[in-house]
Amino acid sequence: MNRGSAVKFEKVSKRFRTPKGTWYQALANLDFEVEAGQFVALVGPTGCGKSTALTLLAGLEQPSIGSVSVNGKEVQDIDTSTGFVFQHDATFPWMNVYNNIAAGPKFRKLKEHDALVKSWIAKVGLTGFENNFPHQLSGGMKKRVALAQALINEPSLLLMDEPFSALDVQTRSIMTDELVALWESTRSTVLFVTHDLEEAIALADRVIVLTAGPAQVKADFTISLPRPRKARDIRFTAEFLEIYHQIWNVLKDEVDIAYQRQLVAPSGKK
Amino acid sequence: MAEKYLTDREIKQKNLKHRVKVHSLQLGLAFLLLGSWQYMADHNILDPFFYGRPTGVLHQLDVWVHNGTAIGSLWVNAWVTFYEATYGFIAGVVLGIIFGVFLARNKTAAEIFAPYIKVSNSIPRVVLGSIFVLWLGLGSVSKVALAFVLVFFPVFFNAFQGTREADNKLISNARLLGASKKDVLRRVIFPSALSWITASMHVSFGFALIGAIVGEFLGAQRGLGLLIATAQGNFNPNGVYAAMVLIAIMALTAEFLITKLENRLLNWRPTQVSGSDL
Ligand SMILES: Nc1ncnc2c1ncn2[C@@H]1O[C@H](COP(=O)(O)OP(=O)(O)OP(=O)(O)O)[C@@H](O)[C@H]1O
Ligand SMILES: [Mg+2]
Repeated sequence: MNRGSAVKFEKVSKRFRTPKGTWYQALANLDFEVEAGQFVALVGPTGCGKSTALTLLAGLEQPSIGSVSVNGKEVQDIDTSTGFVFQHDATFPWMNVYNNIAAGPKFRKLKEHDALVKSWIAKVGLTGFENNFPHQLSGGMKKRVALAQALINEPSLLLMDEPFSALDVQTRSIMTDELVALWESTRSTVLFVTHDLEEAIALADRVIVLTAGPAQVKADFTISLPRPRKARDIRFTAEFLEIYHQIWNVLKDEVDIAYQRQLVAPSGKK
Repeated sequence: MAEKYLTDREIKQKNLKHRVKVHSLQLGLAFLLLGSWQYMADHNILDPFFYGRPTGVLHQLDVWVHNGTAIGSLWVNAWVTFYEATYGFIAGVVLGIIFGVFLARNKTAAEIFAPYIKVSNSIPRVVLGSIFVLWLGLGSVSKVALAFVLVFFPVFFNAFQGTREADNKLISNARLLGASKKDVLRRVIFPSALSWITASMHVSFGFALIGAIVGEFLGAQRGLGLLIATAQGNFNPNGVYAAMVLIAIMALTAEFLITKLENRLLNWRPTQVSGSDL
């Protein structure tokens, strides 16, 4: 058991049944490790298997072959020390903003959670909207509810699937800084899926580039820009631009491959 | 083109105007229908011996209220039918929800019970009324039992379907947030099945009344069903209509209460397609 690795994919393959009854391979021999406390960004073309990788880590799905472990233990089932910000809205429609954010503390029977909940409502800028139901919120507001809902539990492993994709640029940069500050204080392990390379570089210790599906590790970059980083400031520095171009050169080919495939077979592959 | 926001008073007035219009047209329609019925009966176009007439129905109600019916006080009879239907309704709703949710969450149990449920659902359930009267006697129990079977199945199927449709992503999210099995059931599955369940409750109070009345028809000592049967036996169409009016009042009251409950439980839904206006 390797104490240092918080996340470990060992030769993981995952296949799904397609509506036609054939198999679709989403992951093939995916193999990488993440050290405890590291902030890792996963990038790759659309449909390559990023979300699938996160659902395996969260225990929502099991790998077809290989094993996935978190903190040295093979993932068998959902573990409540893992936090998940879903790509698509997963707020509870019958709970208002307050109750959605308080869901974790309530399920965990945390006493005196009112102040904590209110502080998170404030952090995500939803003060005054406590009593609104999700259908009474904008897309970006819902996303912020989902963020607070996951982060309030201080998970030791945080999985984020394009958490900022529905946010406007300003809120996005505020949330990015919030996330960095939070992560610097808790040092939980973070896996962060994004299509935004700038965001990936600004946030992460490591950027892992995945191939067009089935996903494998194509390249693994260490980002050694000094911390604390302010997302807004560093993107104009020379080091930033250099690493950006390196990663983009690798990613570009995979994006092209994925795009070409879509042209050949617009609906489903193989 | 509007240049100013409407004030709250203007909005209220607008709504009021609309409501007055709808209600006066509704009343007009009622007058037209009842009036032509009365006219045709008075002029022997419809034979009042078979078809009755509105004033006759009113007179019948008046007699029942003041002098009682052939089978005792009107209120006692109405009350008997009402509580038979209500008991059957409550039992059917509660057990329907419990079984529906349980089977939807338990795949093996669902597979085992599926053929039995299909078979028992395919039996015309009103027929069971005769059996219940034989088994449980002429008292209220047999009527409650018939109302219960009529209510149970629609609620059961809706609870089952509603539970099946609960979003897996929401269940996963709740579990990751620390929800126990019971939390998942109470905070995720039940609320998402609730709109299905309340939808079935609207129709099922009607079924409960059918159960109570058909049961009374088949053999009873009291109740509106018996009142109808007695009126029919005496060739008194006005009596049959008068009892129907009372049943309709009961059904509408229940519908009103169910809609109230639904709006309270489902206040999180975007737009309420409430049944009360339909
Ligand atoms: N439950 C499923 N059944 C069948 N196919 C699936 C299922 N889940 C995912 N897939 C397929 O697996 C592939 C990878 O999906 P995944 O959601 O992991 O992509 P992604 O990398 O997150 O894409 P995006 O960046 O667009 O979110 C897709 O081609 C998808 O069609
Ligand atoms: Mg995805």
